[in-house]
Amino acid sequence: MDRRWSYLCLLLLCLSFLAGCWDRRELEERASVLAIAIDAGGEDEERYRVTVQIPIPIKIAGSSGQGGGGNSNAVKVMSVTGRTITDATNNLQLRLNQRLFLGHTRVVAISEEIAREGIADILDGFRREALIRRLLWPIIVRGKASSLLEIKPELAQIPVVFIMDLVENGRKMGTIPDKTLGDYLNETSNKSMQPFLNYVEATKREVKWIGTAIFHDHKMVGSLTPIETWSLLQLRDQKRGGDVIMPLAGEEDAYVTLRPRFVDTNLTIRPNISKGGGLEAVFACEVQGDIMEYVPGHMRFASPEEFIRVMQKELKQELEKRAKHMVTKLKKHNSDILKLGLHLRSYHFRDYWSHHDWNKAFKDFPIRVEYTIKLRRLGMEMQQ
Amino acid sequence: MKRQDSGSQRYGFTTWQQTCLITSTLIGVGVLTLPRTATSHLLEAGWMAPIVGSLGAYYSIWMIAKLSRRFPGMTFVEYSPLVWASKESPKLGKLLSLPWIFIYLSFIYVATGMVSRIFGEVVVTSVLLNTPLEVIMMTMFLLAFFLSLHEVDVVARVNEILFPLIIFPVLFIAIASFQKADWSYIFPLIRVSGKSIFEGAYEAVYSFSGFEIMLIYYAFSQHKAGKEKAGIVGILITMVVYTLIVVAGITVFGYEELQRLTWPTLELVKTTQVPGLILERLESAFLAVWVAAVFTTVANAYYAVIYGLRQCFNKGILFQRIASAFLFIPLFFIALLPQNIVEIFQISSYLGIGNLVLNLGVPTMYWIVLFLRGKARVPKERKADG
Repeated sequence: MDRRWSYLCLLLLCLSFLAGCWDRRELEERASVLAIAIDAGGEDEERYRVTVQIPIPIKIAGSSGQGGGGNSNAVKVMSVTGRTITDATNNLQLRLNQRLFLGHTRVVAISEEIAREGIADILDGFRREALIRRLLWPIIVRGKASSLLEIKPELAQIPVVFIMDLVENGRKMGTIPDKTLGDYLNETSNKSMQPFLNYVEATKREVKWIGTAIFHDHKMVGSLTPIETWSLLQLRDQKRGGDVIMPLAGEEDAYVTLRPRFVDTNLTIRPNISKGGGLEAVFACEVQGDIMEYVPGHMRFASPEEFIRVMQKELKQELEKRAKHMVTKLKKHNSDILKLGLHLRSYHFRDYWSHHDWNKAFKDFPIRVEYTIKLRRLGMEMQQ
Repeated sequence: MKRQDSGSQRYGFTTWQQTCLITSTLIGVGVLTLPRTATSHLLEAGWMAPIVGSLGAYYSIWMIAKLSRRFPGMTFVEYSPLVWASKESPKLGKLLSLPWIFIYLSFIYVATGMVSRIFGEVVVTSVLLNTPLEVIMMTMFLLAFFLSLHEVDVVARVNEILFPLIIFPVLFIAIASFQKADWSYIFPLIRVSGKSIFEGAYEAVYSFSGFEIMLIYYAFSQHKAGKEKAGIVGILITMVVYTLIVVAGITVFGYEELQRLTWPTLELVKTTQVPGLILERLESAFLAVWVAAVFTTVANAYYAVIYGLRQCFNKGILFQRIASAFLFIPLFFIALLPQNIVEIFQISSYLGIGNLVLNLGVPTMYWIVLFLRGKARVPKERKADG
């Protein structure tokens, strides 16, 4: 009797190895959308034109022996219109043999035209969809958003991967802000700050990062150039930003290049002495860096000490000028992406925040930027 | 191990087992919504909600532990008649105690239904999108049923084993998400009125319900085990975990965004990146482990109800097995009563406050009755000799 039972148990145990997933879906059996581009629709009712990029697994090199021919057709780009974003994706489904799958979406490209009208409506669907990851990158595209999906970068098989690498690398180098969907959503919900997103431009073959798009209440109000963005990154996130190439005063074709290595920013709120009354924000930013290039061959200083002293002073002025320019622009657009409002709300709630409307007050809030440059090395060159 | 049908034979729970029992029962579905509910009134200071909200629980568990110490080796169902009437009139005692037993058991029963419903909702909305809610709930019930087939010592061991599996993922998520944290979000430390602190704490109370099952389980404590210690430590661990997860939620999202997230902790998991991209989609792994947390909540509570009934009717393990199979049917329909997600959160909020009232009220009442009847102390037997 016992024996028979143990045989039965063994048999049942073996059965468990045969188990599988009854509703499995193979990778090829779903249309994974890697990127979505959203443009204005044009036709009367259809507000949006949605373009998606779907990779064709079999055509991607390495996935199977035969693949990897040209990289031109490793992806399929499809375009539909709809009254809402979900409406458009539903319309797209009508044209696809497999089920659309948004779980792998990494980039949402939004055209500047739409962004200037406001993107709250677009993101509502993304907010509700459980598959959408908060880590995906919304990107604002100058011109048509779909152009971003149609580039043929050649360096990567799938255009979206190229764009992702571009942003990812820039993030690692500290030159491109890492603005995810989650950041955007947090910053729009938060009453003390405004969001900003990466801003790119796509030509037929290539894509180029051209700075950041700044927002106010879900509407794009302006943009920052790369140089302004680097000032912003230094002040806001203590990221190093790109190389600073400064023309030297009084010389033609004379430039000095600073490569920031470490940036340390302290934001303090002080009583405003110069203009009497009120508060003033002071960003004290310390940049440690190296001289990477110095190209007026003939200009020489008396001593290396002198060279470093002069350069530190001039670079300080240059960086302060840039930061000031950036702050003026932000004030013009009334968009506090510096996290200054958050700082005021957190640390000066009773003496400032509770009786000011930041939406109006930011414009006139005095902001001062003080750079400290510390040149550490001169590269491999010892002479100035 | 010898199996006996009468409830009198006790398998000793160690202090640690009791701690695990309490902590793993408390940590369940509440942890997924806590960052949102805690910040709804307290805003940036939401992390205070679990701390203030647990105060009642400490007091209550202490009283429950003391009750159990007064009647060692007895469950709530067994000692209730002794509280209400003397030993000579068991009928009267039974009659007077029945309403309280009934209220308690049915309350735990309904709460269990709601927990499994919320569990089902999470799974349906985030991972198994095409699976019917009913199926998910039924699988959870099946697990709980399986546990109910066994004697009570199994419950303790299951909880002891699952305890690290519940604590560490939640702790890991809370700590790993600190790399994205912006600490400015939790300042100003306090800006709301004192009244709001209690309103905010009230929202967190639901997450601290469930320890009342110790009314049953304390009876199986080892002779030397520290019941009060187990209770306090159990709730303390839960409170620390909750506070950490709320702090993580606030510092990553900010309180405004938290208000817009249905399952803030799940979103927290989604935004947390493990360095090195070992696991890119952490939420599936987290939910898989989180099933254990819900299982201990549902199964412990359900077991307590079934065991209470078994003692109520003075029956053996066979009754327990049959009852546990049949009682799932009404539970299933109770769980399906709320029509939408808003209703679910509303009901769970009511359950939380009802639970607090019950847990503070009934033990206090029992003690008052014991004092009035002059039975607050265990009668000393040696005196009779002298």
